[in-house]
Amino acid sequence: MSFAFSLTGVAKRYPHFALEDITLALPEGQVMGLVGVNGAGKTTLLRLITGLAAAHAGEVRVLGHRLPEEQVEAKREIGFASEDMRLYRSQTLRWHMDLMRQIYPAWSEEYARELLKRFDLRTDQAVGGCSHGQRVKALLLLCLARRPRLLLLDEPTTGLDPVARIEVLEALADVLRDAGRSVLFSSHNTHDVEQLADTITFLHKGRLVASADRHEFVDRWRRIVCQGALPAGLSAWPEIASARANGSLVEIKARAWSETLPARLAAEGLQVQRTDAMALEDIFITAVRSGGVA
Amino acid sequence: MKLNLPLVRLLVVKDWQLFQKQLALYVLAGIVALCFLGLARPWAFYVGSLMLLIVLVAAACFSISTSLVVERKEQTLSFVMSLPVSPLDFTISKLAGNLLTFAVPFAVLLGGTLATVLLTPLPDGLFVYALLIFAYILFAFSISLSVAMSVESEGWATFAMIGSMVLINPYIMALAQIPDIDQRTRVDEIAWTTPAAAILIALSLASLAVLGATTWYHARKPAFH
Repeated sequence: MSFAFSLTGVAKRYPHFALEDITLALPEGQVMGLVGVNGAGKTTLLRLITGLAAAHAGEVRVLGHRLPEEQVEAKREIGFASEDMRLYRSQTLRWHMDLMRQIYPAWSEEYARELLKRFDLRTDQAVGGCSHGQRVKALLLLCLARRPRLLLLDEPTTGLDPVARIEVLEALADVLRDAGRSVLFSSHNTHDVEQLADTITFLHKGRLVASADRHEFVDRWRRIVCQGALPAGLSAWPEIASARANGSLVEIKARAWSETLPARLAAEGLQVQRTDAMALEDIFITAVRSGGVA
Repeated sequence: MKLNLPLVRLLVVKDWQLFQKQLALYVLAGIVALCFLGLARPWAFYVGSLMLLIVLVAAACFSISTSLVVERKEQTLSFVMSLPVSPLDFTISKLAGNLLTFAVPFAVLLGGTLATVLLTPLPDGLFVYALLIFAYILFAFSISLSVAMSVESEGWATFAMIGSMVLINPYIMALAQIPDIDQRTRVDEIAWTTPAAAILIALSLASLAVLGATTWYHARKPAFH
């Protein structure tokens, strides 16, 4: 299997923050959603994958290139847009498109025109006069029309109004139909990630909390409601992420659900009343709070 | 690390396109200053030389602040860094872009000043003096550019720009204390003296050394962050 990127034992340290021991890979053609709260290390991780930052330890490979040494070769095939990236306010979108066309041989003017129509953008308008939503869409257009093999998006929907957010998500969903393109996008909005990603990775305080197939997450995690007294030591079970009692009701969140779990809980004096699948947001919050690897 | 020359050229052209209108205004203001100088009257000389200094300092600061400080502040820097450039490509393009955008008004005004000195009733002895003033501006520009490229703090970059440019005042006063330079400004012939040549060479070499050291430092960086 070939990978769009792979990180092995990667660490990046700043005076007040450190990304530690990150081992992560994205098979080519897949879409990975990177979920974490602000300050979790999503931007640092994306900077490492774009070659903008050099790791203090470990190895970063992107599209077969070792980073940061071969960052120029890798960046020729990467489309990167981040929430804190801005275009030149005094210049028009046409000026930016011309610049991109001269830099990227794979630039598709036809696809750019299609995206202009889809995003309802004007090429002759100075970027400074655009709304935030229009600027994000312009940035996405510049990334997508260069036909990158790997698309890296750092919080692409942050700060967008609901209409612009849906437009951006729909455009991304279209892009993802191209099986040859790999995508990594970060967000603290689990709903966006749930819609688009094949694989989901949770990052918290600079560490990888969990990384798995989206369906695997949903299959593995369960919210179990039981009747009885909370047994001592239940929270220490490796498959239990959290357990709390509210009167005679006990709510258990399991990170590794199995058919034998209800019977084992019954043996501890708990009567299982209901078992529910969990939403990704709930899984993320529980995984982060429990501090364990899901 | 290999230099990606076609992309460096594109980035330099980009900076030139971004700033050319404002630079044209600086050149225009400089030409107005030269017109005052050319009147060769005491009051016009004072107004013209002051205006010329202001224009030169403003052009130097404009070039650095818009291409580095403002680019960082307005977050267009991350857009540039996401392009297929290495830190070396980026450093060279910024150095070349800044030198070009500053060199155009600098060269036009230097040429204009020297021509004004030689072609008007102003004493030709001002020729060397003008070169010494322009050499200092170039040196201050090199210091400011190097600091702006090396620090992320807008405050330090601004401090370096203002500090190095304001020091032109004691520099002019110091020149006035050197009889071999001061007295020759009133003579109607171009006269090279040892102190003048030494200062000119020292400032030119110092400018080159500062820019060279900055390039060397940034070229060794494996990544931007």
